[in-house]
Amino acid sequence: MSRFSRQSFLGAGSERRLADATIGIVGLGGGGSHIVQQAGHVGIGGYVLVDPDHITETNTNRLIGGTLADLETEARPAATKVAISERLLHGLLEKPRIVALHKSWHDATEKLKLCDIIIGAVDSIIERDQLERFARRHLIPYLDIGMDVHPLPGGEFLVSGQVVLSTPGHACLRCCGIVTDERLTEEARKYGAAGEAPQVVWSNGVLASTAVGLIVQLLSPWFRSTQNFVYLDYDGNQGTLVPNMRMELYQQRVCPHHPAEETGDPLFDIRDYSRGVVEREAARIAAAALPPIKPRWWLALWRSLFG
Amino acid sequence: MDEHVDGASAVGRVSTHFKITGTLLAAIRADLARPHAFAAERVGFIAAGLSSSGDDLLVLARGYRPLLDGDYQINPAVGAMMSAEALRKALQWAMKDNIALFHVHTHGGRGRPGFSGIDISEQKRFVPNFLQVAPQCAHGALVLSDKIAHGHVWLAEEEAPKVITRFTEVGVPLVKWSAL
Repeated sequence: MSRFSRQSFLGAGSERRLADATIGIVGLGGGGSHIVQQAGHVGIGGYVLVDPDHITETNTNRLIGGTLADLETEARPAATKVAISERLLHGLLEKPRIVALHKSWHDATEKLKLCDIIIGAVDSIIERDQLERFARRHLIPYLDIGMDVHPLPGGEFLVSGQVVLSTPGHACLRCCGIVTDERLTEEARKYGAAGEAPQVVWSNGVLASTAVGLIVQLLSPWFRSTQNFVYLDYDGNQGTLVPNMRMELYQQRVCPHHPAEETGDPLFDIRDYSRGVVEREAARIAAAALPPIKPRWWLALWRSLFG
Repeated sequence: MDEHVDGASAVGRVSTHFKITGTLLAAIRADLARPHAFAAERVGFIAAGLSSSGDDLLVLARGYRPLLDGDYQINPAVGAMMSAEALRKALQWAMKDNIALFHVHTHGGRGRPGFSGIDISEQKRFVPNFLQVAPQCAHGALVLSDKIAHGHVWLAEEEAPKVITRFTEVGVPLVKWSAL
């Protein structure tokens, strides 16, 4: 019995396919940390983990893997969210391939480019828009999860959210109406004044679990599917997760917002790339050729004797 | 031993990753499967954008143009012979749109395809021309089977082609294979 025998229905070779895959997770808070944990459990082997934040007290209601011992004390700073995720994965996988980047994803694009799938668990609309555009440019499927809590009349609340699988060429977050110019403008107008949006562990868990199912279905499918576009709506009050009406409607839609002509780096020049390869190789050889530094024992002895 | 960096050999160690959507690849296979009046096989060109991460070169397919029926020449020695006009159109496409261009044809079957001797000698004849008109891009050639693909990429006109090391068909499911 292997560790993964209970998921052998994923097919012969599924263990290797999942172990060979590399996923990028941008945002390691309430949603992203769930995805890290579950991806580790199913045996995905490679991770690019990106988040610029440290854990804070208000994260501890939902950040999977984070503990009260990770909070800032007088003796030490708070743990970074990437360090918490990294620790979680080391507890679940024998030899995970982890690139942990405690920075904005805008400064992590070199590593994210090499991912098989990118998962965005970020709060803002503009971040989602930019991250999806980046993924499309590099022909990387993008999975987006997001949750909201809306006030209702009478002092009640609606917990809702969505999971979207956006694959190159097919319907995108703009097609879904999740990213709109109006929402981007509104967000920019409120920038810095929005405060902390409500977030809870159970709805994040539903959305993240659904996303992990879609990741596994992409990498090692357990049923035949041709759905290149998935858009699921979560209603936390009803306890339902159902296809949005656009999911069926846009299944064959060719996305007008991210044309194929935008694929690749518009400023790329193969001559610069080749020069870079040669320079990096020269630097590697030069570093390897440096003579070992011999300890100046006589100098140390002189100083110890005569100050 | 006196070590040094030879540009060609250093660049020879790069990893090239060719990515294409499942939708585009299926459309190319369907197009190449059409019979031609006299050519034994069909050919076309894949346009791609490029990106990189360290020494990893990413070739990211954007679109496809088949060779038009009238752009084939009768030549029993080869499966498909492009006319000079066909080559001119392809060169113009690469130059005008600033794209990496990959010649493509299929050998069918389900296994790992490979270039024939004639394929390789023909590629050496015309692919470097693309580097003359669009030197900022890499260019190359692919051969497909019904399941996977194999390819060569030229990074510079004066250098020998490199084998494309990895492929990803971006679709549902995500299909990856390696040349090595």
